Amino acid sequence: MDQPSQPPPQAASVSETVTAAPIRHLEFKVAMLLSITLVLSGAFTAYVLYARGVFASTQKVILVTDDSEGVNVGMPLTFAGFSIGRVRTIELGDDAKVRIFVDVPTRDARWLKVSTVFVIEKPLVGGVRIRAVTGQLEDPPLPNGAARAVLRGDATEEIPRLLSSVREVLENVQRVTAADSSLNASLGNVRTVTERMAGRSGVLAAALGSEENARKVFAALDRTNALLDSMGGVSARLGQTLDKADKRMFGTGGVMDETQKAVVQLNAILGDARESLKKADAVLADVQKIGANARTATDDLGVLRGEVDASLRKINGLIDEVNRKWPFKRDTEVKLP
Amino acid sequence: MEIPSFHDAPEKVARTFVAWLASWWRVFHFGAKAIVMAASPSAYDRATSNLMARQVYFTAWQILPGFILVSAIFSYMVIRIVLLAAVSYGLEDLALAIVVRVLILELIPLFVALFVALRSGAAINTEVALMHIRGDLEALQRAGEDPMRHQLVPRVVGSAVSVFSLTVIACSMATVLAYFAMYGFTAGGIADYTLAMSRIFDVAITLGLGLKAFFFGLAVAIIPITASLDAPREARYAPIAVLNGMVRLFLSLALIEGASLAFKYI
Repeated sequence: MDQPSQPPPQAASVSETVTAAPIRHLEFKVAMLLSITLVLSGAFTAYVLYARGVFASTQKVILVTDDSEGVNVGMPLTFAGFSIGRVRTIELGDDAKVRIFVDVPTRDARWLKVSTVFVIEKPLVGGVRIRAVTGQLEDPPLPNGAARAVLRGDATEEIPRLLSSVREVLENVQRVTAADSSLNASLGNVRTVTERMAGRSGVLAAALGSEENARKVFAALDRTNALLDSMGGVSARLGQTLDKADKRMFGTGGVMDETQKAVVQLNAILGDARESLKKADAVLADVQKIGANARTATDDLGVLRGEVDASLRKINGLIDEVNRKWPFKRDTEVKLP
Repeated sequence: MEIPSFHDAPEKVARTFVAWLASWWRVFHFGAKAIVMAASPSAYDRATSNLMARQVYFTAWQILPGFILVSAIFSYMVIRIVLLAAVSYGLEDLALAIVVRVLILELIPLFVALFVALRSGAAINTEVALMHIRGDLEALQRAGEDPMRHQLVPRVVGSAVSVFSLTVIACSMATVLAYFAMYGFTAGGIADYTLAMSRIFDVAITLGLGLKAFFFGLAVAIIPITASLDAPREARYAPIAVLNGMVRLFLSLALIEGASLAFKYI
């Protein structure tokens, strides 16, 4: 308790204890520590100044853009993946455009030409990048302090658009694959058609819609065949009739003056008949193709039938007239199919 | 025996608060006086220089090999962890920035300050508390010596210099280690590394790092010393003085760190 009132010699001893036990090379060690500290901090400061380009001469490029989001001071300007400059300041101008001032060391400025395009890229992950792309290295160099508009390549801006497109596509796919979709209906129709093709009448039933229609076509073909057979009969008889008429006309019975006109008429009619038969011939050739084209065939069959009818009527008339003029009884009936 | 009554509780709270404010005021007052004195060359004579040198010797030099080893291992661990994590997330570009910002700007200065606080701050606290209790400082004053100038300021300066030195050494080492951890033993990454460093160390960050190290150094000496001088002159209060000083020191380091973060990022 009475220590505060102790005499000065005690104080001297305290001082002595603090400074006692001399340390060897104390001054040298402390000086060394201090110089290490100073050298390291000086070197670090110099390195940072060098890194920030304080010692390099630079030229300025002004990049003008609408939106500088993600761009900050110190960010590099890269060319072909190499940093060639650094953002110095960013300003918002009176025209609401952002001006990004970039310092480019003079030795790197040779990559910047008047045709150089500047792009601000904003990837999904990671920081924003400012890139310079020079297409024509032969172009004149970019002047100091040049202002250039910046293109933006923003991956995140694309996402909403991409999503809306994807949604549209998905909706379409959904519509296409729905139970009442036209694709489903078409597939159903295809199945019906293929089932028919697999049936008894095959492709013809598929093309005409049902077995019944196919059967009708077969029936029409059968009847056409029958018609062609009877046409054969008709032409044979016609041949006989003409032979007989020939004999009557030019045979031993002699030619009558009265029949002269009839013969001329007959010749004309026979010419018609020949023409008709030629047409019938052509149509018959067409009929051969019926298997390939049933619809055309049935159309042609109608024409053929009409023409055959007409020819037969003429022949009927001819025979009637011949009968009228020649008094022998003939069976003039021609059977139509 | 005094029994605190319900009625005098607010008065007690007020008295405690005023005492708390007063003690912080003494911290700043002492700190300002110490800085002014340390800045005046006339304050240094042979004895003070010697005491300062001893303080630096005990605080920084003596532990230097162990400190370098520990901080190298610690730095390398943090660097590897951050690098691996960044690479696994595809953020290699940001790895170096994270390492520098987390390790060099924040962790190492705080680590050094705590290291010195535990080693030298506690020692200074105890030493000054004992001197205060024994009345050595008054004895010195009566003997014609200024205890502030001859006993306290050299300790403050010595501690501040030590913290600053150790911070510079550890940060430089971490800078080099970060380079090798990132690029391997090759000179090929220097351009990349320089670019990344230039983006982080602007004027404010660099000055801020220096200032932080400086304030950490001051706090490590000033706060234990004032806590010692605040203590009642009884031997049984010595441990309490040390305890108060260390708690207050820890709080102050946290406050300085928080202020530096707020200054940098808010």
